Amino acid sequence: MQNPYIPMPVEVVNIVTEVDTNDIKTFRFAFVNKEDEERFQYLPGQFAELSILGKGESPIGIASSPTQKGYIEFTVQRVANLSGGIVTAALHDLEVGARMGVRGPLGNSWPIEYLEGKNVVVVGGGFAFTTLRSLIHYMLKEENRSRFGDINVIYGARTPGLLCYKEELAAWEKRKDIRMHVTVDKRDETWTGREGFVPTVCREIAPSAENSVAVICGPPVMIRFTLPVFFELGFSKENIYTSLEMRMKCGIGKCGRCNVGEKYVCKDGPVFSLAELDTLTREY
Amino acid sequence: MIGSKGSLNADHCEKEKVVFKKITLEKLGDLVSALKEKGPLYAPVRDGKAVNFQKITKTADVTLDFYNTVFSPKFVFFPQTEDLIRYTLQKEGAQAEPVPIAASPSVILGVRPCDAKSFEIMDRHFLGAGIIDPYWKNRRDNTVVIGYAFDPAAPPDPADFYNTVGIHAADTEGSDVFMVRKDGELLLKGITKKGESLLKGLAVLDAASAQDEAFFDETIRKDRGVKTRFTEITDTAIAAKLVGSFEKQEIWEEMTASCIGCGTCTFVCPTCYCFDINDETLFRKGARKRFWDACMFTDFTLEASGHNPRPRIFQRYRQKVCHKYSYHVTKYGCISCVGCGRCTRSCPVNIDIFSIVEKVANL
Ligand SMILES: Cc1cc2nc3c(=O)[nH]c(=O)nc-3n(C[C@H](O)[C@H](O)[C@H](O)COP(=O)(O)OP(=O)(O)OC[C@H]3O[C@@H](n4cnc5c(N)ncnc54)[C@H](O)[C@@H]3O)c2cc1C
Ligand code: SF4
Ligand code: SF4
Ligand code: FES
Repeated sequence: MQNPYIPMPVEVVNIVTEVDTNDIKTFRFAFVNKEDEERFQYLPGQFAELSILGKGESPIGIASSPTQKGYIEFTVQRVANLSGGIVTAALHDLEVGARMGVRGPLGNSWPIEYLEGKNVVVVGGGFAFTTLRSLIHYMLKEENRSRFGDINVIYGARTPGLLCYKEELAAWEKRKDIRMHVTVDKRDETWTGREGFVPTVCREIAPSAENSVAVICGPPVMIRFTLPVFFELGFSKENIYTSLEMRMKCGIGKCGRCNVGEKYVCKDGPVFSLAELDTLTREY
Repeated sequence: MIGSKGSLNADHCEKEKVVFKKITLEKLGDLVSALKEKGPLYAPVRDGKAVNFQKITKTADVTLDFYNTVFSPKFVFFPQTEDLIRYTLQKEGAQAEPVPIAASPSVILGVRPCDAKSFEIMDRHFLGAGIIDPYWKNRRDNTVVIGYAFDPAAPPDPADFYNTVGIHAADTEGSDVFMVRKDGELLLKGITKKGESLLKGLAVLDAASAQDEAFFDETIRKDRGVKTRFTEITDTAIAAKLVGSFEKQEIWEEMTASCIGCGTCTFVCPTCYCFDINDETLFRKGARKRFWDACMFTDFTLEASGHNPRPRIFQRYRQKVCHKYSYHVTKYGCISCVGCGRCTRSCPVNIDIFSIVEKVANL
């Protein structure tokens, strides 16, 4: 029996500093053992526990897509607080070639099957865009693209320098099979694109609710102001999905830490529809 | 596959071959020694005023004169701390070795019926849903539980309320062998195959007579008369009541006003399973450990951002009660409390989960 608490060894093969504040980096890992790579079958929206012995583990969404073979990626913010930030700080200190561990894939995924045949509105704010990036890569892959309808992406950050995955955003802007609406709260001299908060942009673009599903991930304030817009547009709670965050340890529904009502976010989530969330207690 | 008739016959044969043994209390030491030879033995030991299960090193330490232990025996399967990985930190990374899961066959002697039942409740979480916990599984598979009836002549502890959750003072459920005391003797009956084969392999035991068997059955019958605190609840009704009372903040604040969030209630509880995983390093050597944690602690759900979904004590106590009497019912189909009364006996400010459940049931 595979011990679910023992991480698989990986090697850091690339590190990209995503933002001008330097506190968000994307780490690319390659599995040390081929069997582990084969075992790590995931879908967009799932997460993994990143393990650094001597420091601990942190649950992090998988930022790469299963259609990208040979590696997995995670985008991690270094948490600056008085007592903590232990694992994320240690991660940020790593260099290419370092070895560490990964446990996963964990949790459920974005509702891929449900999205098939529908228009998909992807809404992201800040660095919570990570698993949405995975989803976009997945849907855009040649053999997958026809399974989904129109794809609209609304992605915002506070400043242009805080947008992640800039080269990919630029590449997607050029494509005809995806409509990108990238926005910043506050423009600077480098920025020629949109200015405005994510909820406002959503209202301006007004994607049709007809045969559409919205997939939303971002900071709590963004979500709070974005949801009413989608309700106004006629999206039902069954057709709005989001990803929850709770403090986690085991990631496999055993340690009892991450429950919201009778659901363990690590195992039954992190992805829930708003209709599902309505049936749970408001403790998150 | 054996047809239903075949299995009925098999059951019938089983019945005829019930493994029923006895030993005089004077020879308890011999029984303990014989059990110890088979592997690690956990049994009640008196330490000052308290009796607790311990791994037995000295035969004479074992006592069967106790009401119930302060801590539950869950630690046999789920130790308070245990190393998952041991490592040495080096310049180029860590040298690490997963710690093999100790799996020598062991025995727990003298488990009260409520605690024996708690193991089955925990099984549903650790073994019955999703990923199997290899630590719990290995130890459960390799351990024989020798249950021990409460004395039908003695009144139950006032904190106990196991009747409320459908458990009686001599329930054999959850035990592999069940033990009843008869004057100067112990009667031991095999309940499961695992228990029967243990009994068969113990030469120190004598065969029990038909009279002994009658006494055993009589004790089980009489123990139905041992009445703990009781309130009429069903799993699904109390689960629904709790969901309904969740938003009634004033009630929860009032019921838990004196709680100091010390977590003692969860540490003594046989059905609390929350744990933490952390790395402890000293001079470059260390271990990734898992250890008991509790939803009663402030930082249990504290996120790195500073956000905490349950910052207040009433929210954490409500979580504890809702978990045991509502979420567990929805998730695993049963209440995860066996009414052993430990939390009430150990609480420094006399918070009593029974009174809280009773109150919610009658809202
Ligand atoms: C499903 C999920 C996906 C996530 N995806 C990302 C991501 O893609 N990128 C990213 O930067 N962050 C992500 N987070 C948040 C990230 O897990 C925390 O910021 C991180 O664990 C903080 O760890 P630390 O050791 O640096 O902080 P400390 O304050 O030292 O935390 C100690 C430990 O507590 C736990 N913990 C603390 N805060 C959280 C939290 N918010 N969520 C879960 N566990 C926590 C971790 O086990 C952590 O190691 C995600 C969280 C969840 C639940
Ligand atoms: S109920 Fe009692 S034992 Fe439990 S945390 Fe509160 S004060 Fe401590
Ligand atoms: S909650 Fe209290 S009474 Fe119930 S099983 Fe735990 S310790 Fe025993
Ligand atoms: S993180 Fe352990 S139960 Fe979810």
